[in-house]
Amino acid sequence: MTGFVAVLAATEDIPTPDVDWSAIAPNLILMLGGILLLTVVSVVRGRLPGWFHAVWTISVATAAIVAVVPLWQRVQDSGPESVLAGALVLDGFSLVVTATICVSVILAALLLEAYLRRERLGGPEWYVLMLLSASGGVTMATANDLVVVFIGLEILSVAVYVLAAMHRRRVSSQEAGLKYFVLGAFSSAFLLYGIALTYGATGSTNLSRIQAFLADTVITQNALLLGGLAFMLVGFGFKVAVVPFHNWKPDVYQGSPTPVTAFMATAVTAAAFAALLRVYVTTFGPTYRTEWQPLVAALTVLTLVVGAFLAISQTNVKRMLAYSSINHAGFVLLGVLAASAAGDAATLFYLVAYTFMAAGSFAVVAVVGRRGDGHHDLSDYQGLSRSRPGLALVFTILLLSQAGVPLTAGFLAKFYVLAAAVESGYTWLAVLAMLTAVVSAFMYLRIVVTMYFAEPEGEPRRPRIPAAAGLAMGLCVVGVLVIGIVPGPLSDVANDAVSQLVAVGR
Amino acid sequence: MTLQLTGSWYLVLAAMIFAIGAVGLMVRRNPLVMFMCVELMLNAVNLTFVTFSRLLDDVGGQAVVFFVLVVAAAEVVVGLAIIVAIMRRRQGANADDVSLMRG
Amino acid sequence: MLAATSSQFPVIPAMILLPFAGAALIGLLPRSRGDLFRPVALLTAVATGVLSVWMLVGFEDVARFQFQVNQPWISDLGISLHLGVNGISLFLIVLTGLMFPVAILGSTPSHDPKPYYAWLLVLMGASVGVFAAMDLVVFFVFFELVLVPMYFLIGLWGHGRRVYAATKFFLYTMAGSALMLVGIVATGILHQRGTGGPLTFDMVAIARDQVISRPATLWIFGAFAVALAIKVPLVPLHTWLPDAHTEAPTAGSVILAAIMLKLGTYGLIRFGLYLFPDAAVTLRPVLLTLAVLGITYGAVVATMQKDLKRLVAYSSVAHMGFCVLGIFSLTVQGIEGSVLVMVNHGITTGALFLLVGYIYERRHTRLISDLSGLQKSAPIMAACFTLVMLASVGLPGLNGFPGEFLSLLGAFEGARWWGVVAVTGVILAALYLLWAYQRTFHGPATGENARMKDLRPGELMVLAPLLVLIVFLGLYPAPMLERMEPSVKALVAHVDRNSDGFTAVERRYVGPAEAAEREGEGG
Repeated sequence: MTGFVAVLAATEDIPTPDVDWSAIAPNLILMLGGILLLTVVSVVRGRLPGWFHAVWTISVATAAIVAVVPLWQRVQDSGPESVLAGALVLDGFSLVVTATICVSVILAALLLEAYLRRERLGGPEWYVLMLLSASGGVTMATANDLVVVFIGLEILSVAVYVLAAMHRRRVSSQEAGLKYFVLGAFSSAFLLYGIALTYGATGSTNLSRIQAFLADTVITQNALLLGGLAFMLVGFGFKVAVVPFHNWKPDVYQGSPTPVTAFMATAVTAAAFAALLRVYVTTFGPTYRTEWQPLVAALTVLTLVVGAFLAISQTNVKRMLAYSSINHAGFVLLGVLAASAAGDAATLFYLVAYTFMAAGSFAVVAVVGRRGDGHHDLSDYQGLSRSRPGLALVFTILLLSQAGVPLTAGFLAKFYVLAAAVESGYTWLAVLAMLTAVVSAFMYLRIVVTMYFAEPEGEPRRPRIPAAAGLAMGLCVVGVLVIGIVPGPLSDVANDAVSQLVAVGR
Repeated sequence: MTLQLTGSWYLVLAAMIFAIGAVGLMVRRNPLVMFMCVELMLNAVNLTFVTFSRLLDDVGGQAVVFFVLVVAAAEVVVGLAIIVAIMRRRQGANADDVSLMRG
Repeated sequence: MLAATSSQFPVIPAMILLPFAGAALIGLLPRSRGDLFRPVALLTAVATGVLSVWMLVGFEDVARFQFQVNQPWISDLGISLHLGVNGISLFLIVLTGLMFPVAILGSTPSHDPKPYYAWLLVLMGASVGVFAAMDLVVFFVFFELVLVPMYFLIGLWGHGRRVYAATKFFLYTMAGSALMLVGIVATGILHQRGTGGPLTFDMVAIARDQVISRPATLWIFGAFAVALAIKVPLVPLHTWLPDAHTEAPTAGSVILAAIMLKLGTYGLIRFGLYLFPDAAVTLRPVLLTLAVLGITYGAVVATMQKDLKRLVAYSSVAHMGFCVLGIFSLTVQGIEGSVLVMVNHGITTGALFLLVGYIYERRHTRLISDLSGLQKSAPIMAACFTLVMLASVGLPGLNGFPGEFLSLLGAFEGARWWGVVAVTGVILAALYLLWAYQRTFHGPATGENARMKDLRPGELMVLAPLLVLIVFLGLYPAPMLERMEPSVKALVAHVDRNSDGFTAVERRYVGPAEAAEREGEGG
């Protein structure tokens, strides 16, 4: 009896970390929003109108963005801080990525609403999974610990594996799910092994402690750490589809339901790049930059070149966009490679710009795909300028933006990345990147040519444009043009949002 | 002569298991076997974490193992569900059959 | 003085925004009001042209950039909407203001007038922007923006292999632009490093400071030169031009020849000489050689063309060769001649393309072998064609002459042997144009050629301003020369001052009186 009391008394001494709930509000909103949606629909099953899930999801994501705003003020006023006993970091970078992920949730939810109606696939699960996945992405972006990065990655990925396979009647959807799952699990294992080796070399998984440790200590035998860095790079490389770890991407993008593809292209990419940047640039940048930069430079070259050249031989528009997203990943990687404050800002700018470009492009693809989500061949776009001039114009603007034509977001995104790369001495890579952008431009022009100049075979089809999808496209085009013409606000935010780490006490 | 089992033995063992898992995943085409290979890799990582935890005298590494176990369980649930969904639609589960998309 | 000019009505932004506003208006008009598109487009283009003339009248004969506006755009990169004109860009803007109304009046689209006129106006606004930009990034933005409307104009309203021609045009130019963009970025960053000040892409600041190391300027100049040589085009990067010219609709060909090609030569002056004088002097032999190659090659290939439009296209290659020759002679006359060639080539070649377009509308062929004896059925057209052709040949008294003459004069001063070879181009030009004229307009008029209708009064009205200018600028080029001279002299002095080993000829043309003036901004 006395022993039990003693145990109880001792238990009281276990220190629990101080939880600053407001600091993790955006993440909590997303996660609770998802769980609550699941609960609500299972309680009041059948009595909710179809649009309820979408509206709920959009409201939740909007609430999360609203929650970001006071935090942004707080970070600007009092600097970055670490929360949850150093597991998460609250800095401008994580907040901007959080907002970006929420925006892509909103855009994908708009697409999904129209899509599910067309495909007769109702159900709240899609939205629940998307919200949970977004929560995982936010966790990744705010992670201050390699293990938290891993957990965030898994929350993000596991939900997306299911989403990719969710279209019951499309075999290719399940194929995509399986492929994504197997390669995703494979890459997670690599990432985790890299984390383990890094842990062995530095004695911690906490990024702040690793950074402090590396700054104080000269490691004579750094094979373990280099191995860890390499393995983690493979893991991240799979997630962001860096060549040679890109093989899954075209298949998965093609097979997945198109709104899910849009979500993958935007939220998953943004979260994975955010984590990659925080680990490599912010944590290992000051001390181990010269070790990983050549490796990343080689990956960047491959990613840029392969993404651009494989894209031009495709005839399926979804695959074209998948390959072009590989080329875009090369550009983002160029920003990471710069490993400077300018590079961080450029990466962030590119990710935000790409969110609008990719979500809008896949919105068009979703609409043109028609029922069954299968009409993605280039020939399905013939004569679109006649039957749907507005749709063709929207797609043209988005494609030109992806090609980097001025007055669109794509141009400035590329400009910032190039500036960062040149500043860090990677002028040759900047030249190469721009040349691959020209190759990509050829691919985008092929789509434009098909829409405007090719005569349709037989009756030109008029794909139905649901209001929600139209709204998503409108938002994307406006976003792309506003960022392209008035980039000041976004570039200011990106410059203020440099990734930082906060020292945590042991 | 007694064999001294230092930490590096465990690390090497873990590395070998990881390699077996990785190679297996690349060589085998049956999703279930590929799935087992992923489990092998994750458990190799667990072993590595525990070993380092012991070597560094830091309990953090052992805590990570629990997270990894939970994640692995979650992956099993999802992975098997996808495989079952595919198997329902077709006869065997073979990654080579899953090849509608090429390019 | 500067304050006085800058507090004026912001004429340059107005000239850029007006066409864009017109394009937006056309976009908003319903498709059913098809009768309104053309008047709206014409009105906008003419209004812009009037503004350009107003600017011409208000221009002072000094080297300084005038009508300047400077508005920060992307502050963290030091990019600002800095616009202004000097004696070199002035005439190109006026040319833009002249040729677009002519192109709009001179031809009608075969279908879809709404996007056609909207794209033309976008093209006009962007063209003015290129010539007026004083910030490297703003220049690039407009330079790239020009591509999109031209791509659609060729691709949607062109002839024959229009899609091929449009795509080739877009990709060629974009490949060059890719290099140029990296060059611009590198220029800004190296300039920042050299001065230790804030990042800026302002041309005046970069040209003034000259802090970029020599090897770096050579690379950057090379990047610019490739991009601009594609646009000019210089042999061997010219292969997009004949296709684009031939397949483009008449208005597209006119604008392509009159305005777009000038973006390249103008860029060579702005980037080549003004920003990187030292590199320009070092790499001068390469560009001179390419220019001379272009003159002779363009002329020889033009001689062999069967298609009238292709012939004019290759003659453009030759003429632009003169332009580059004049620029890189690095003499005051050479550069003045070069600017004259730019403007006058725009006028004459624009008129030639219009005439060829009229022939094509009537005969539905551009093959020289299908045409003969048009003089009998269409005497007025033949007269116009004669005048324009003789101007293009460079007959003294017409506008082709002063430019070519000054370019060659400059070349003889600054680059003698290249000048000698270039003279053969003049002779060849006479050969291919006269021969083409003879085959088309002389000889027996048979079949449909005999029944071809002459120019309508409306068409003649369109040509009239060009014909008047051809004669006027041929007899009396002095007003142009007076306005550009201070700018050109300041530019040559700037090159002289900032380059090693280039002091031979130019000193003579910069007297002490002008030395004080050149302390201005120049370029």
